[in-house]
Order: sequence, then structure tokens, then C-alpha cells
Amino acid sequence: MKLSKPLIVVGFVFVLIFMVGCSSESSGGESGDVVKLTFWDFHTDAEEAFFSGLVDEYNAMQDKVEIEYSTIGNATDYSNTKIPVAFANNEGPDIFMTSPGDFQKYADAGALADLSPYFKEGVKEDFLPSALEAVTVDDKILALPFELELLGLYYNKTMLEEANLEVPKTWDELLATAKELTTDEVAGLALPTDKGPYLNFIWYPFLWQNGGSVLSEDGTKSTFNTPEVAEALDIWGSFFQEGVSPSKLQIPHDDIANVGGGTAAMQILGTWAIPKLEQEFEDGDEFGLAPIPIPEGGEHATAAGGWKIAVNANSEHVEQAADFVMWAFGDDQSRPLEWATETKFAYAPRQSVIEEGKEFYSQGLRNVFTEEIYDSAIPEPKFSAEIVDAVGEALQNVMFGGMSGKEAAEIAHEKIQSILDSK
Amino acid sequence: MKRMKKNRRKRNEVLTAYGFLLPNLVGLTVFVFFPMIYAFYVSLHDWNALSPKVFIGFDNYVEMASDKRWWASVGRTFLFTLIYVPALYCLSLFFAVILNNLKQKYQSIARTMFLLPFAITSVISAVIWMFLYDPRNGVLNQLLSSLGFDKLEFLGSTNQALVSIVVVILWINIGYNMIIFMASIKEIPKDYYEAAKIDGASAWRAFRSITFPLLRGTSTFILIVTMIASFTVFDQIMVMTSGGPASSTEVSVLYIYKQAFEFLNMGYASALAVILFLIIFILSLAQLRLYTKKG
Repeated sequence: MKLSKPLIVVGFVFVLIFMVGCSSESSGGESGDVVKLTFWDFHTDAEEAFFSGLVDEYNAMQDKVEIEYSTIGNATDYSNTKIPVAFANNEGPDIFMTSPGDFQKYADAGALADLSPYFKEGVKEDFLPSALEAVTVDDKILALPFELELLGLYYNKTMLEEANLEVPKTWDELLATAKELTTDEVAGLALPTDKGPYLNFIWYPFLWQNGGSVLSEDGTKSTFNTPEVAEALDIWGSFFQEGVSPSKLQIPHDDIANVGGGTAAMQILGTWAIPKLEQEFEDGDEFGLAPIPIPEGGEHATAAGGWKIAVNANSEHVEQAADFVMWAFGDDQSRPLEWATETKFAYAPRQSVIEEGKEFYSQGLRNVFTEEIYDSAIPEPKFSAEIVDAVGEALQNVMFGGMSGKEAAEIAHEKIQSILDSK
Repeated sequence: MKRMKKNRRKRNEVLTAYGFLLPNLVGLTVFVFFPMIYAFYVSLHDWNALSPKVFIGFDNYVEMASDKRWWASVGRTFLFTLIYVPALYCLSLFFAVILNNLKQKYQSIARTMFLLPFAITSVISAVIWMFLYDPRNGVLNQLLSSLGFDKLEFLGSTNQALVSIVVVILWINIGYNMIIFMASIKEIPKDYYEAAKIDGASAWRAFRSITFPLLRGTSTFILIVTMIASFTVFDQIMVMTSGGPASSTEVSVLYIYKQAFEFLNMGYASALAVILFLIIFILSLAQLRLYTKKG
């Protein structure tokens, strides 16, 4: 009896805490006839303003659906923590963004709603086939691409001129030029250093130019043990082994400030770099852009990245959510065009939008992307996170582990095949 | 009459004790014990966080046995602990003894300076050190080359990255552990030292025969807590190298994080966490036994 009273008190407090803890779950859903939807992403600044403006506009133009937009402000936390944890608790947002590196795991888990029934007439045909193919699984279109970010070689014109060097066109020239331009203060060629989907993304053009691929066409076999893959790994590794690419960067690699600020002579980077280069660094005619150099006898290729917007398959209002997604990027050209030209610089994955923005796409360095790079674009593949990791490990092994491309490729090949076999 | 009063008083005492324990007890249960049990439950499932859990018994544990990357990460964690724990112990004890002999005025200034890194958010101190370590523009390499030494790659080298990270975590934690040592040194009665002085003992002898043995309790505490901390090291490594270059700093917790949040293998990651917990638990127990037995 002595203890029973305190125990009751303890028990009571527990019940109270759990009640408080659990009752905060938003009852959500409908209030009256208005359907409430949540929309999450990770954008900041101008990009955040674009999406929040988009949502406001949509909310104002009709009274059946009300969308609540919120941004996490950091792509890594968004992809690795916020979204998985929300889905794990069945509290995933109705509308969200996903990257090629994550797409497959959400598709495998059945978390992505099929958007094909919601396309307006003629719009599906307007999209670039390869862009839609990258988000199609079993004939279902599981996300809507709204930007294509292409890669090119940015360089500092003055540095090249002073050293009397031409813009490199082949791998060998790229390595030789980078060597010439490397000093104690300047890195010849800035490349990403840390493992992750981004590292692979920047490397894929080298792989494809050499005719290599990670998987066989049907995606069931690893093709990573070919000489083409080994060579693409070797050239990448040599940038680090020869000291022309720093083993660590002070400025993150996805920031053009490496070349812009003069700490790197060349940098392989995407379309997104142009607005910043123009606004913060453009000093006369200082910077140039060229297609990524190719191996002897190779073919031009570049990777096309970019986020996709998706609808949660477990949402109670898939239809309303899909309607918003289509209104935003699968309807009128003005919204996708504003995103791809004013908010940031990317290519819209729709022919009619690019047509509409023709003038814009030929301005300054953009013209290089449009004229010389766009046609060689291949969408970033949607591999599972484990395969992304195995490819990243191979890259790390040639960069820092002192391995040859062949050794690293062999290890990754076995790993990838065992991942595929265990599925 | 008297007895009843006593009984009531005792009951009140028990009630008060529970009352004071309650907030901690509730916090521990909700945020520690329950998640621990839940993690074990999850470890028996195949779960990608997005679809329902599938019960698979101990398959995750079986898979772990042949997961080379996991055991490599455990080996790396042991290596990290073997460098970090003795270094932290010796350095914080060393500075505690030195500072203790300073005049009060200088002592408090030095103490504050040593403790400052501890007050900086771990992520921020990691970023600060990344700048210092930068191979091309970092202060450390500028210093090395001005002294005529070769430049080092630090975080960009598979051989140097782990040690470089140990240095950062030492820099953060020495001050705190030093203060714990200083507090217990102050507890030691001055008479012992006076007696030793009269007997003609040197400073080193006094340290060896008086200070060091009387710090046993504190030492045990610091060694165990530090070991546990070094087995769960994560944030600085995540920020500075995220396991690289070429996996040379991928410690166990980092690998668990990757399995959980990059690959979405929540079940497998939980199984790894359970095993890591067991390793830490057994080691702590063994350590506790070892030190108390000696006493």
C-alpha cells in the first residue's frame, strides 16, 4: 500500500504526457468543403519566394483547395531526415520534391502517385521524352520534372590567356591545362570531393562520353567492370592524384565562387551557376564556358539533373494534389518559364517552354549551353541509394585510395551486382 | 502515536523522493528507454520507413555478420577510441596539474580559455577547423611551410583524416575534463603535500604517490564517459569528412546513419545500433570492474 499512491501519481502523469504528446496531431483534412494540402520543399531565397508565390496564387484563384507551403531550407536535411521521418510516421506531405538520387526508393516503396491520368491533352508530348522516361516506372509517371540542370566546364579566360593555353577539348588536354594552371593559390580544376549523389552526378559525363554505363539497359546487370568505366575512373582519379584538384574545397563545389573568386581556374558545374556568376563576379569578359572535354574518339555527353515534384500516393487527396502540380508545371508556359529563367537558370523539360524563352536562352554564357551542350544531355539516372554509394566508393578509391580504375571498378561491380541480386 | 507519526514521515519522504525523481524518470522513459526498446523491435524487421514493417526475425543480425563495411567501421571506431581516450585523459590531467599550480588570478583566466572551445557548438568548431586544415589556404599549412616543412593534406588524406579529427575533438573536450580534474585535485588535503615536502619528495613523486592515486574515482568516471563518447562520435566527422576520404573516417555511428537515412534500411540500422550498444555496454562494464577491483 505504501507505494501505491506515488505509483498512481507517476502513472497519472504519464497518461497526461502521452495525451498531450499525441493530441497535437493536426486533425487536418477538410474544414467545410475546402481540401487542405501540404507542400514541402527545401528552397531558400528567390526560389522559396517563387514557390510560395505560386501557392498563394493558386489558393487565391479557387476556393476548393488550400495549399500550405513550407520549406526546410536545406536539401540534405530535407532528403535525409525530414521526408523519411515524416513518411515513417504516416505524416508525409501531400506534395513534395524528390531528386534523382532519392526517386527510386520512394518509387519502390509505392509512395509516389501515378500522375499520368492528370496530364492535359498534348502536354505529355510537349515534355522531352528522356525527361519523362527518367521518372517513369512500369509505365507510370511518378513525378513531374520541372527543370533540367546541365553541366559544363566553366573557366577563367584571363588565366588561360596569360598561360597561353587553349580551352581544353579532350581529357588529356583538360589534365594538361589544369596542371599548367595549378599554383599554390589556384586549383587547376575544382571538382567535388565528398561522397554522395552529387559527386557521381558530376562524374557521369566522363562515364558516358567514354561509352560506359553503370547498369545494363534493362537495369538487372552491372556493367561496371568494363574498360570504358575503368578509363573514366582513371581520368577522374588522376585529377586528384596529380594534385590539380584539391582534396578539400573551402567553398562548396556546387558554388561557382571557386572559379568566380579566383581560387580555381576551371570548374565543372551546372547551369545554376550563371546567374550568380553574372550578379556577383562578372568582370568584363572574365569567364568562359565550354562543353566538358571528351576522350579521344568519344562523344559529347552531359548529365541533366534537377528536382522533380511528386504527389504522395497515400494522400487522401491525390487528385487535388496532382491538379496543383499540373497547373504549376504542366499547363501554361509562363510559370515554368519564370522558374527556369527569372528565378534560376535551368532548362525547362518542355519544348514549348524553351521555344517561348528562346531569346533568354541565347543570352551570354547561356548560349553555350543552348547551342553546344543541350543536345548531349542525358538525365541523371535514378539508381537506388546503395548503388549510388557503390559508385561513389569507386570514385573515392581512385581519388584517395590509390587504386587504379580497374581495381575500383571491379570492387564496385561486385557490390552493385550483389545489390541487384538481393532485390 | 509516535510510531504512526514516524510512518507518516517516512511516507512523506518517499513521496517527496518520487516527486523529485519524477521529471527525470518521465524524461528517461519517454526519450531513452522507450526508443531503446522500440529500436530493438524495429531491428527485427525489414523496414524502409516508407512502407509497413515486415517481420524477419534475426535476419538483420545474420546479415551483419558478413557485412565487411560494418566491421571495418567498428575497427575504425576502436582505433579512434584508442587514440582519443588516452590522449584526452593524459592531456586534461596534465593541464589540470599545471593550472593548479598557477596563481589564482592566472588560473581562472587559463581555465576560461581552456573551456571556451567546449562552449562552441560542435558543428561550428568543426567548420572552424576545416578552415584551419584547408590544404591550400589553411593557417596550419601556411605555418608548416613558413617553418620549412612539407604541406599536409589533413582531412583530404586517408592517413591523416582520422587523427586530424581526433585533434579537433580533443580541442573541444580537454577544457571540460580538465576542470573536473582540477575540482578533485582541490579536494585533496594540503597536509599530504606538506608531509611529502618535508620528506623531501619531488613534484613528480608527489604527483605519482598522492595526486594520481587519489584521483582514481574521477579517473574512472572520465575514462568511462570518454570511452562512451568516443564510441558514439558523429557530428564533427559528419561535418568535416562525412566518412571520407575513401571511407577512412567512416566510424560505426556514421555507417548506422547512412544505412538509416541514406539507404532507408531502418531495420538493419537498428540492428547495428543494438550491437553497438552491446559493445559499449560490455566495455563500460568491464572497465568499471577493472578500476573498482584495483581499489
